Amino acid sequence: MANFTRLHEDLNKYAVARNVPVWVGGKKVIADRVVKTACPHNCYDTCGVLAYIKDEKVIKLEGDPDHPITRGHLCVKGYANVQKINSPDRVKYPLIRVGERGEGKFRRATWDEALDYIVDKLKDIRSRYGGEAFSEYCYSGNREHMAKTVSGRFLNLFGASKLVGSFCLLSGAAGSYYSVGDQHTMMPEVWSEKTEMIFLVGRNPSFTNPHIYPFLYKAMERGAKLVVVDPYVTAVASKADLHLQPRPGTDVVLALGMMNYIISHDMHNKEFIAKYTHGFEDLLEEVKTMPVEKAAELTGIEAEKIIQAAQWYATLNTQTECGYGHQRYSNGHQAQRAYACLAAICGHIGKETGNYNYIDQMGFPALPGFMQAGKVMNPEGADIPKTRLINIATFATAIQEAAAQGKPIKGVISYRGGLVSQQPEVAYTLEALKTLDLFVTIEQFMTDDTDWADVVLPGCHYLEQYGLHPSYWHHYLQVLVPVCQPYYEAVPDIEIWAELGRRMGWEEYFPKETTGLDYIKTLIGENCNVDEAVSPKGPLRLPENWCPRVPYADLKFATPSGKIELYSIGMEERGKKFPGDFKAVPYHLEPEESPLSTPELYKKYPLTLISQHPAFRTHSQYYNLPWIREIEGPAKIYISREDAAKAGVKEGDKVRVFNDRGELKGIYAKPSIRVKSGTAELSSGMWVKLGANVNVLSSRSIGGPRDVGAGIMEEYHPLLDGNTTAYFNTLVQIEKM
Amino acid sequence: MTSRQKTLYVDTRRCMNCRACETACKLENGVPAGPRWTMVTEVEVTQDGVDKTMFLPMPCLHCGDPACLKACPTGAISKRTVDGIVLVDKEKCIGCRQCLWACQFGVPQFGPDNKMEKCTLCVHRFDDGLTETACQKACQAEAIMVGTVDEISKAIRERYATSSRNQLFGNGILGR
Repeated sequence: MANFTRLHEDLNKYAVARNVPVWVGGKKVIADRVVKTACPHNCYDTCGVLAYIKDEKVIKLEGDPDHPITRGHLCVKGYANVQKINSPDRVKYPLIRVGERGEGKFRRATWDEALDYIVDKLKDIRSRYGGEAFSEYCYSGNREHMAKTVSGRFLNLFGASKLVGSFCLLSGAAGSYYSVGDQHTMMPEVWSEKTEMIFLVGRNPSFTNPHIYPFLYKAMERGAKLVVVDPYVTAVASKADLHLQPRPGTDVVLALGMMNYIISHDMHNKEFIAKYTHGFEDLLEEVKTMPVEKAAELTGIEAEKIIQAAQWYATLNTQTECGYGHQRYSNGHQAQRAYACLAAICGHIGKETGNYNYIDQMGFPALPGFMQAGKVMNPEGADIPKTRLINIATFATAIQEAAAQGKPIKGVISYRGGLVSQQPEVAYTLEALKTLDLFVTIEQFMTDDTDWADVVLPGCHYLEQYGLHPSYWHHYLQVLVPVCQPYYEAVPDIEIWAELGRRMGWEEYFPKETTGLDYIKTLIGENCNVDEAVSPKGPLRLPENWCPRVPYADLKFATPSGKIELYSIGMEERGKKFPGDFKAVPYHLEPEESPLSTPELYKKYPLTLISQHPAFRTHSQYYNLPWIREIEGPAKIYISREDAAKAGVKEGDKVRVFNDRGELKGIYAKPSIRVKSGTAELSSGMWVKLGANVNVLSSRSIGGPRDVGAGIMEEYHPLLDGNTTAYFNTLVQIEKM
Repeated sequence: MTSRQKTLYVDTRRCMNCRACETACKLENGVPAGPRWTMVTEVEVTQDGVDKTMFLPMPCLHCGDPACLKACPTGAISKRTVDGIVLVDKEKCIGCRQCLWACQFGVPQFGPDNKMEKCTLCVHRFDDGLTETACQKACQAEAIMVGTVDEISKAIRERYATSSRNQLFGNGILGR
């Protein structure tokens, strides 16, 4: 096929300023231009970024001081992106495998050769097994949506299996949606001025949401209290007036216990409940089963602390700020339902003084919002076949199941996600990968995935490509633009998919001259003025009708009853259609693997393993950077001092961490106050080939109301079915090496 | 000197272990992996029966009476009279590590060239008319403050006075 050439754009049009002096590496340098963009690495903050460019290289990154939420600050990774984009270890050109899968042996190829290889294989797979034998694997490594939507167009035209669902938060999004309807967040600039208490659940903002701190401190300096729910002693828990440290996976118990105290002491908001909620009597039945003493016993939190939290929560105007830590268990949907009900019975919803935040759905193309994903994915005039759906939370399981059903998945193009390192139970994932005829990765580095690939394409850093990443926490949009031309032979993801499309013969749907920005305008142009969010302009406040300043202020809720559903009619209805856990009032269901639900296993493996998202990584990204490796130090497992003594382990000892699924060797033991006895913590995202990947041990069980089985489906709704990988349904043991 | 001594203060009530200061410093000063000009130290404490973690970024303290300066046999370490910033002249450093022995805070670092290097309090930025160090600029919690002792003392007192005033009389919740 013809020589592949990229569409070249003059990027100077995005310059905020030209010939700008800047200090970098202790020297004063004149940067050719400064460009505004945003970081798309799947964190709440979605920082505004200023990139300094010299000779088409990124020499410095700073926070954009004009961004109302991130206000000129980046995080530890944000600055390290200079090292990342300039790394000599980047994948510089296309590679084709020469060794066995898993060996990581490749030869250099041209783009034409690599693209032709992929397209020939895809056509072969389609002719032999049908279009559904192909799927992408794509998640939030770059959580920008545009490329995914363009790859969606390719997959739809191909008749491929469609990837749906999530690892991280959809269980709770479903639980939350069944409770209050559409998902909105109230921005911190609103609540920090008025609220009397912040109830922060399952979020470690130091690592995943650092820009909340100025707002937290502002509220606290006004006298607002901070209550944190987290099984780990995080930094924010250490700043709190009260830290509730539940046994992992018992959030429902805590919320029910608090509700029990509040209702039995007549502290609930009866007027609000009568006017704006549905099913209080049903909820009450469940709440009655969880007196504070029982909640204390099940959660391991002292009863006095639960009572203190309940008293404050009911009497102070409270901002409920939910993270996703409690989504790592099979009961995540009920946990989020329970917190929504807690907020509702106290009337802390729809008010400037305190609202209920889980996620803002504006950042999700699959959800009702301002993105017109369908228009891009299903181009006018194209014949799009209806195909099966694959749930990403069970991706490897689905590959195995599809083969067993005689309708195998044979080709996968993977990008923006670490399939090997981030899917649960690594050994199982590798078995699934071995059954593929074609595994392509688009990567910036030689990762755990590339070792198993047939073709590795040099992917772009986020700074080298267009992107659209509305935050799921605040309402300011900065469109991502390429701040410089791609390094080496890297090609933006959108352009790779478009070129593959053209080579499939779909020139009309992937015109050569269409830029990433053109696609973005198709995606959201109807609902906002995109140019206002493109460097040198931006960020743009998203339209009030999509992202209200005070969500739910009209106290009308997009639920079947139009009220907050303490008893969920929606769940009852969905439960008639699909199997699963659709119990309509929140109740406690032990995680599938836990001291109480699997007592025999617990005897062998007495530690519940949780894993934080560390400051140092976006999942598995950044782990290979020298700056980051140095600051983070070697892999370590935090255990309580009691458990350390039991295992005969001291600070600095190397241990083996193991269960029936696998083992990790040479992990440093950290006996610590940070976890309670019975819990261990090992941070996520370290690489398998570097020996410390937590998913070697983690369970493949999933959370969410709908039981999707192996994850091959005809029909799926993210907010009604909602799945999440229940990574923390995991028991392990340690021993000294 | 005391009145003009520039120093870096960390409000440990605010530092929350995000580590942004560490990579911001490396980027600003071109420090490779190895030497660490600043480092967030984690401390576990149990206060009134509550388990907590506290954090303290540890750059050079630019001491009023620097032990490293006195220990250096070659006169490579100097203290500026204008603002008290302690600097090392790599040309004169012989890599003997006397400064490391002398410093109570473990500040002196040694890179591949075996010469002492450390935090300069971003002296280049202040000399260029900028007003913040790189770590201070990166600090989202506004925990890092740089200035003369008087300036920092005033800023801290103002911070907590404002907080108390708000809580008692202003838009704070106690003033309802």
